[in-house]
Amino acid sequence: SSHEHKLNFKKSKEVCLTYIQDAMLQKQWKRAAEFLTFYIESLEKDFSTEYMGPSEMIWRIGTEILCHHSHSSMKEFNSFIEQMKTLGVKRYLKVCLEHAFHLLCNGLIDEAYQNLSLAESWRFGEQTAIQDKEMKLIQAYRGLLDYYSWSKQKTILLEHGQDGFEDLSVEQEMHSCFRKAAVNLREIIKIPGVWDLFVKCYVDLLEFYGDHNEARQVLNEYAYNSKFPANPNAHVYLYRFLKRHGESKKSLISALKILHDIVPSHELMIDFNTMLQKSKKRKKRRLGLEVIFAALDYAGWKENVKAWSCLARQVKQIVISEKHLDWIKQEWNSRRDWWPAFHFSRYLAKRNWQDNESLSCEKALVAGILLGKDCKYFKYVSHQGCKARVKRFRILKKFVNKYNPAYLSISG
Amino acid sequence: MEFPAALFPSYFGAGPPREEGGPAPAAGWGEHGQVLEAGTGRRQAETAFVPRRGGTGESWEPADAAAVPFLPPNASCWVPLLAPQDILYRGVLRRKLRAGKSGAALDFTKQLGHFFVDHPEDAFGSLGQLLHKNFYLGNSKLRRQARDSTIRMTALMEEIDRLEARRGCPRQHLASRLRWFSHLCRDWLFEVPLGLLADCVHEELLLQWAGLLFDDSPTAGALAWLPPEDVGACTGRLVYPGGQAMNHLYFQDVVLEELPRARGSPAQFELNGRIRQVAAARVDGEDFVGVRSDYYCGVWRVPGRTGAAPTPLQVIRTGVPASCLTVSPHLPGELAVCTQSGAVYLWSIETGLQRLRHDPQTMFFRDHSPWRWSDFTAHPRVLSCADRTGLQCLDTRAPERCHFDLFKVGEEAGCQQGERVVLPLYLGRAHPSQHLVTTQFSVYVLDERLPLVPVLKWAHMMKAPPLFAHLTPGGPGRSHKVLLGASRTQELMLLQYRGGSRSACQLVGPPQKLHSIAGCLQHLPAQLPHRHRLLQQRLGAPAAGLAAALWEDGPRESLLVFQLSEAGDVFCQRLTHEAVQPPAPTSGDEAPAAPGSSPLFEAPASSPPGLGSEEEEEEEEEEEQTFYLSNLEVIINEEEEEDAGTPAVPEEAELTQEPCASPQPSLAVPSPAAALRYRRWLKALYKVCREPPRQAWPPTLSQKRLFTRKELEAPAGPSTLHWQARQRLRQAMREGGRIQRWDPPGPQPPALLQTLEPAWGPDPLSARLTAAWSGDWWQWWEERSSFNMAQKQRALRERRRRQKRARGRRSLSASFTSSLTYQSELSEVSDAAPPPVSPSRPPVLPGEGSPPGGSPPASPAPDEALLSSQSLRCRGIPKERRKTLRDYLAVWAEGPPEPTEPPGSPASQLCIPSSQSQLSSASQSQLSSASQPRRKRPRMGF
Repeated sequence: SSHEHKLNFKKSKEVCLTYIQDAMLQKQWKRAAEFLTFYIESLEKDFSTEYMGPSEMIWRIGTEILCHHSHSSMKEFNSFIEQMKTLGVKRYLKVCLEHAFHLLCNGLIDEAYQNLSLAESWRFGEQTAIQDKEMKLIQAYRGLLDYYSWSKQKTILLEHGQDGFEDLSVEQEMHSCFRKAAVNLREIIKIPGVWDLFVKCYVDLLEFYGDHNEARQVLNEYAYNSKFPANPNAHVYLYRFLKRHGESKKSLISALKILHDIVPSHELMIDFNTMLQKSKKRKKRRLGLEVIFAALDYAGWKENVKAWSCLARQVKQIVISEKHLDWIKQEWNSRRDWWPAFHFSRYLAKRNWQDNESLSCEKALVAGILLGKDCKYFKYVSHQGCKARVKRFRILKKFVNKYNPAYLSISG
Repeated sequence: MEFPAALFPSYFGAGPPREEGGPAPAAGWGEHGQVLEAGTGRRQAETAFVPRRGGTGESWEPADAAAVPFLPPNASCWVPLLAPQDILYRGVLRRKLRAGKSGAALDFTKQLGHFFVDHPEDAFGSLGQLLHKNFYLGNSKLRRQARDSTIRMTALMEEIDRLEARRGCPRQHLASRLRWFSHLCRDWLFEVPLGLLADCVHEELLLQWAGLLFDDSPTAGALAWLPPEDVGACTGRLVYPGGQAMNHLYFQDVVLEELPRARGSPAQFELNGRIRQVAAARVDGEDFVGVRSDYYCGVWRVPGRTGAAPTPLQVIRTGVPASCLTVSPHLPGELAVCTQSGAVYLWSIETGLQRLRHDPQTMFFRDHSPWRWSDFTAHPRVLSCADRTGLQCLDTRAPERCHFDLFKVGEEAGCQQGERVVLPLYLGRAHPSQHLVTTQFSVYVLDERLPLVPVLKWAHMMKAPPLFAHLTPGGPGRSHKVLLGASRTQELMLLQYRGGSRSACQLVGPPQKLHSIAGCLQHLPAQLPHRHRLLQQRLGAPAAGLAAALWEDGPRESLLVFQLSEAGDVFCQRLTHEAVQPPAPTSGDEAPAAPGSSPLFEAPASSPPGLGSEEEEEEEEEEEQTFYLSNLEVIINEEEEEDAGTPAVPEEAELTQEPCASPQPSLAVPSPAAALRYRRWLKALYKVCREPPRQAWPPTLSQKRLFTRKELEAPAGPSTLHWQARQRLRQAMREGGRIQRWDPPGPQPPALLQTLEPAWGPDPLSARLTAAWSGDWWQWWEERSSFNMAQKQRALRERRRRQKRARGRRSLSASFTSSLTYQSELSEVSDAAPPPVSPSRPPVLPGEGSPPGGSPPASPAPDEALLSSQSLRCRGIPKERRKTLRDYLAVWAEGPPEPTEPPGSPASQLCIPSSQSQLSSASQSQLSSASQPRRKRPRMGF
C-alpha cells in the first residue's frame, strides 16, 4: 500500500542518513559523498513536516563534505551552493551568508562581496524575524568589507600623500566606501548583540573623519546599554578611546572601575592598579589595593609576576609608612582562610622557586608580611635564596624580619 | 588572563527560547557560524578571516579497529538492568494507546498483582487470618452448620484461574461472581489501604520509567584518570568501580604504552553503595578523588608519587540522594556536593560542610527535575550551581548576595525550546575561566567574563544526551580536545577547540566519532548463538564513565581513551597524532578517490556522473538489502525479548543492530595484540559468567513448602561414602554428564547394615512420603491431625490392621525396627545435636546397583533402605515414580541451610504443601501442636 511504501521510504531515508553521518564522523568523506548522492533522492518525495527538511540537510552535509573532501575545488563548491540557494526560500539568506563566510575564509574577498551584495538585493514577500536578522548581518558584513576597502584606499592615499601626489578618484572612492560602510555598520550596532568587530571599524571610520562625539556616543551606548550583554571589550574600547583622546584621569578611572566591577580578573587591572597607586587620594590608593587583591584571587593570575610585584610594592609601601595597615587587614580578613593554601603552600614555594625566581621573591615578601616570617612559603624561599646567595633575598629577609610587627597587627 | 580583543559577532536577545524544533540529525554540519578578522598584525596588506567553526584542527587517527578490553571482565555476572518491557503494558491496551499516540502505557495492574502474590502476608495478613475459618477452599460440600459462617471459595478460585488464562483476550467479561466479590471486599480486605498503595506503586513506576528514558544518576561518570606527576613519566592511575554491585573502588596503576596495561594489583576499597561518580582533581601535586554513591560521598587522597597508597579522608552521608560531587582544582580537600533536594554544599575536609543554597525550585523557570550540579570556577571562592534550566555562579562567602547568571536556557544562548542542561564541566585546565555545558542538542563553551553569551555553540547530533565529558588541554598554540560520551548509546565524540585568551574561541577540525564498546563485537571471533547474545548484552551495556590520558612518545602523541560500562568493564582505544604533520584537511580519507568517482554535485537531481547507472542500481539494491536485513535483525530481537520495541526508546533497537547492519568498509582487523586481548577477555568472561542454571532442569517442585529441611535431614550425619557419592553425583549433575562407573569401597561396614533398618519403622517422614506417593496422603493427614476421637480411633484401628499385615510379611526386620526407632526418637526428643546411629540421609546412589527382589535382610545393598527400589515397591509406590523420588530427595537433601529456623521450633507450618491449601487453619494449628507428641504413638505396641 502507499502508506507502507511511504513508511519504508522514510525508514530507508533515515538509514541512509545514519550511514552518511557515520561516514562523516569518521572522516570518510568520499564514502559520505557517495551516500549523499542517494540521499538526494529523498528530495523528490519529501513528505516530512519536520523541523529540518532534507533540503537543509543536503545543504549542510554537502557543504561539510566539500569543505573536507580531497577532490573538491572552489568551483565545485560554488556551483553546489548556487543550487542549494534555489532549493529553499526560507533558507536563502542563510545559505548566502555561509557562502560568503566560506569565500572570506579562503581569501576570496571580492567574490564574497559580490555574493553579499546580491543577497542584499534579494526580496521575497514578508520576512520572518530570523530572515530579518540574517539580512542585517549580510548588510553588516558587506559594510565590514567596505570598511576594509576603505582602509586599503586610505593606506594608498596616505602613502601617496607622502609622495606629494594626490589622486582624486581614489579619494572619492574611499569616501563612497566610507558612506556605504558607515550606513550598514551603524544599523547593526544598534541591535543588542556582540558586535566588537563592527563597533571597532565604525569608530575607526568616525575617528578618521573627526566625528568624536558620535564615536563616543557609540562606545558609550555599546558599553552601558543594559540591553547589551556585559561585554568586557565594550569597556576596553571605551577606555582606549578615552585614553587616545587624552581624557582626564578621572574619567579613565571611572571607566576602568566599571570594568573592574564586571570583570575583576581583566588584564587591564594591572594598569588600573598602577594608575590608582600613583594617585594622591587615599581612597584611590585604597581602591588600588582592593583591585590587585581581587585580581590575584583568580586562578589565572596565580603566576603573574606583574600582579605580584604590584601587590608587593603596595604592601611594602604601606608597611614602611605604617599608615593604613588596616587596609591590608581588611583585605586579608576575607582571604585569610584560603590564600595560604591557594598561594603560599610549601609545594608552590618549591615550584615557584624552580620555575620563576622573581615571582617567588615577590610572593615571599607578601607572604612574609601577611603570614609572618614563620610561614612556610617565606621560610622556604628565603632559605633557598640565601643558600643561593642571591642578594635580593637577603634584603627580603631583612625587610620581613624588620617589619614583623606589621604582621602581628594584620593578623591580630 | 587575557581577554580576546574581539569576539565573533552575535545577536543577543533575552527571554525564553524562540527557536522550535527537536533533535535535528545534521544540524551540526556545514556552518561556519561567523567569521572574524584573523590577527591584527598585517591588516593593511590582505585581510584574512577565520571562521568560528570549520577551521583546521589536529588530526587524531584511531590506531586500532575497535576498542580493546583494558582490564579483565568485571568479576561477576552482570544482571541486566530494568528493560522497558518489564514495566510497560503489552497487549490490547497498548495497541489502542499506540493508535491514539498517547505514548507508553505502564503496566500498573501487573505490578500491583506482583505485590499481592509476592507479599501476601503484607497485603492481606491479618484479615486473612481472621477470615480463615470463613473461607472454605475444598471441593466437598459444606456441612449445614458450617454453612452459616463459611463460604466456599473454590468456584471463585477457578474463575480467577480462567481469567488468567484469558489474559489479553479482548472479549473477556468479568464474571459476575468476581465482580460481586471485589465489590464486597475492596474496601476492607487489604492490609494497606488500596488507594495509598496504588499511589505508591504508580509513583514508583513513573520514577522507574523516567529513569529508563533518561537516567541522570551516572552524570559525569565513574571513571577517572590520575596522570603521572611529571610529564615524561608514563605510569598513571585509573580509578574505577567494580564488583557485582559496582561498590568496590579500585585504584589501578597503569603503564601507558601502545596498548596500556595494568601494573600490579589495584588498591581496593569496599563501599556502602553503588558508585555513581568518581571525580578527581590535582592540587599541589596530590590527587583528590571524590566518590559519589546515592547516599554517601567520600574523598580519598592519592599522593603524587607512584606506588603510594591512596588514603580515605572523609565520608558524608546525605538524607536525599546526592546528584553531584566535584573536586576543587584550586584548594586541597575542597569539594562541592549537591543533593536532589536542591541543596548545594561546599565540603571542606577541614571545616566540614557549608550549605550555600537550598532551593527546591529551579532557577530560571520551572522544571520538575531535582537534579542539581555544582562546579568550581576561576575564583576558588565562587562556585557554579546548575539545574536543568541554567547555571549561576555564587560566592561562597556571601551566597545570598553575590551571584550572577552564567548560562540560561533561553534566547540569550540561542537555545531551542525544550532544551535542558545535561552536564556542566569546568574547563579550568584549558582556560581558567571557561566552562563547558552540554544539553541534549548542543554543546556550549562559556566564559565567566562574558556571562550568558556562549563563546562557542555546536549542535552535537548525538542520539543520547552527553552525560560524560573529558577535557585534554592542549599546550600553547594547540587545540584543546573535548571528549563527549553518552550513556545508553555508548556514543563517544571528539571535538577540538582553541582560543579563549588572546583570540576568540573557535571550534576546529571536524568532530570525530570514536569506537564504542559495542563496536568491538564484530571483531571478536565467531561465537555460539547464546554466547553471542550474552556478549551482545554485556558489550551493549550503557556506558558509565569516560577518561582519557595523553601519552607522548617522541614526536608522536597518543590519546588513550578509557570507557567504562555499567557492567564494570573498562575498554580502551588509542588515537594518534603526528606532531610534525602539516595540517591537511584531507588526511581523513583513507584512500584517494578515483578521478572519475569524485562526488560532483553539478547535477544533484540527475544521476551523478561518477557512478554508472548500473552501479547505482547495484548500490541501491545493496542498500535496500541491508535495510531489510537490519529490519530482520530487529524483529528477531523482538521475538526473543517478547516485544522489545517500544515507541519511547527507539535507540534500543538501533544499538543491537548497529554492529552488523552498517555497510561499512569494515575498517581493518584488530592488531594481533588486540586480538590476543579479545581472546583473553572472552575466556575470562566465560569463566566469570557461567551460564546460569538453565531452565532445562527437571521441573522440580519447591521443596521448601513440602518439607522443612530439618525433616529431610534425618538424624544421622552422612558417612564418608555418602558424602563421596553425593559429591560425585553433584559434580555429574553440574557438568550435565553421568556417572560412568561406580565403585564403592569394597567391604561394607557393618554399621551401615544396621542403619538400613530404622527407616522401615513408622518414621513420620517416610510414612508421610509413602502415603503421599501412594496417593492417600490426605487420609494419612486426617489420621494425623484428627481431633475427633472417633475418627482417631478408627484410624488407629485401621493402622494397626495394616501394620499387622506388614509385619506378617517381613517379620524379621520388624524386630529391629522398634528398638532402633526408639533410640533415634529418643535422641530427637532430647534434641541432642546429631543422633549418632540413625542414618537416613537420602542416598544418591543409583538404584541399579541394588539387587532386585529378595527379602530385606538378605539384601545388604549399600543404598539406604528408604529408597531402595525394593522398599519403595513395598510401600506401593509405582515403579515409574521411584527414581523421581530418589532423585528428588537427593537433590534437596543438600539444600542451603535455613538459618532463620530455630532448631527446636515446630516448623510444621512450612510442611503444608501448597496444593493442600484446603486445609483449614484449625487443622494447621492442630498439626503444629501435634507434631511433637505424635511421634510417641508407634512405640505403644501397635
